[in-house]
Amino acid sequence: MNALGKTRITGLAVEAGHTGAALAEPARATTPVVRVENVRKSFGDNIVLDGIDLTVPAGTALVIIGASGSGKSTLLRCVNLLEPVDGGRIFFEGEEITRKGVKVPAVRQRIGIVFQQFNLFPHLRVLDNLTLAARRVGHVRRREAEERAHELLGRVGLVDKARSYPHQLSGGQQQRVAIARALMMRPHVMLFDEVTSALDPELVGEVLVVMRDLAHEGMTMLVVTHEMQFARDVGDHLIFMDGGKIVEQGKPAEVLDRPQAERTKRFLRRTLQLADSLEELTIDEGGVR
Amino acid sequence: MLAANFDWQFIWDHLPDFWEGLKQTLKVAGIGIAGSLAIGIVLGAARAHRVPVVSWLAATYVEVIRNTPILVQIFFIAGALPHFPGHPIRLEPFTIAWLAVVIWGGAYNTENFRAGFEAVPYRYREAGLALGLGRLGTFFNVTLPIGARIALPSTINTNVSVLKNTSLLTAIGFAELTNTAYSLESESFKATEVYFALGVTYLIVVWTLSLLIRVVERRLALPEAR
Ligand SMILES: Nc1ncnc2c1ncn2[C@@H]1O[C@H](COP(=O)(O)OP(=O)(O)O)[C@@H](O)[C@H]1O
Ligand SMILES: [Mg+2]
Repeated sequence: MNALGKTRITGLAVEAGHTGAALAEPARATTPVVRVENVRKSFGDNIVLDGIDLTVPAGTALVIIGASGSGKSTLLRCVNLLEPVDGGRIFFEGEEITRKGVKVPAVRQRIGIVFQQFNLFPHLRVLDNLTLAARRVGHVRRREAEERAHELLGRVGLVDKARSYPHQLSGGQQQRVAIARALMMRPHVMLFDEVTSALDPELVGEVLVVMRDLAHEGMTMLVVTHEMQFARDVGDHLIFMDGGKIVEQGKPAEVLDRPQAERTKRFLRRTLQLADSLEELTIDEGGVR
Repeated sequence: MLAANFDWQFIWDHLPDFWEGLKQTLKVAGIGIAGSLAIGIVLGAARAHRVPVVSWLAATYVEVIRNTPILVQIFFIAGALPHFPGHPIRLEPFTIAWLAVVIWGGAYNTENFRAGFEAVPYRYREAGLALGLGRLGTFFNVTLPIGARIALPSTINTNVSVLKNTSLLTAIGFAELTNTAYSLESESFKATEVYFALGVTYLIVVWTLSLLIRVVERRLALPEAR
């Protein structure tokens, strides 16, 4: 994949010039936006999160990498309360959101999430996909909601697609709409779960650029991705997960260039080498080596 | 095709009678369709989301209705309820009529909507929840509009059957279209004319309903299926 800096979307580049502080509204500087404390989660006998601790300060991007099945999606889903945790606590802007009696929908409005499969509502036009939640639970009037929706569509380079239905858009366009839809609720943090994994390679860049600009504008983000260049360029901190644990973490470039743990080395070898030299890899019961 | 002595004049003269019967049929069918759709949406949602108790009661209701003949259900409502031990329930013939088709259609529509709601991919509901819509908000804004569109073709079949099944109400002497024709025939002995006219009337009405519904269906279908 190309370095991100080389990718350009005309629409976005134009819009990006006058992006205000409206997109990202960082919380009080001292309180981390997200703090995860010894979180445990199992599905039956399958221990998926095995004591996860992490802190995401306001305005930073945390990148999460790890093999398939290592619990990355579950971690994001726990932060958004789509999965209840079995143990441990999660704090959002200093407030514990895993406690009993928390207003779940209100918390979710402040935490945007974008999924691998876009999940745009198929019966609604792009514009209505964006305005639905703002109008229904944000109690924003249609006019205002649509103004903001058009503005956000401009930022993701899709002003002219407001009247389209999701199925009329490419995967990359759908994913950018999904990002805009999540931003409608003015979230204080954005969660991205492998948002480029379902895209054709030539469409990955346009989505990563939107995410990069969001990070540069100061949005706090948790990003699960396999795009190592993105991790390096945009991430402030990187964690490598394996078997429900954080095996290694640090500055993205350091972890990616000088991994310490054996499991990290093996994972990075598989992921990075695959592109260079498929021939050097062998397969056995443990998978690719 | 028809016998040479086919009495067109008789049909012509009795058109007002047919019209009276048809009005009753349409009234009962209208209530039947609206009522059974309402029941179907509510109980179908309860079934799909496994709402405790309600879901179980709905399942029992569906089982009972789908596994007994509608004629038996009509006789039960008309005959058994008024003699309910200790607590007789008296009902007007019109009430019995619409109640019977609402209950029958409601059971089938419960199944139709249950299947429709369950076919809504969980990821759409999750997207609604993630936006902070809440469980009820997600149902009304995501599951209902998508699931109802998926359920549409099967609910259409049920609705047409509701209309046709109103003819069975003749068994309790309710003066809908079939019953009106039956009375005419027993007075005049002109069976050919009467039942020919009856059949043609049903054809026209059911075709019209199907056509109307097809227009609605095309308008409502999910955009990618249009
Ligand atoms: N709803 C669920 N029910 C049962 N098992 C699940 C569920 N969601 C995830 N899992 C399991 O949890 C493990 C971690 O899944 P996931 O968090 O999706 O991993 P990743 O996103 O890192 O690939 C996998 O073994 C997966 O099968
Ligand atoms: Mg995943």
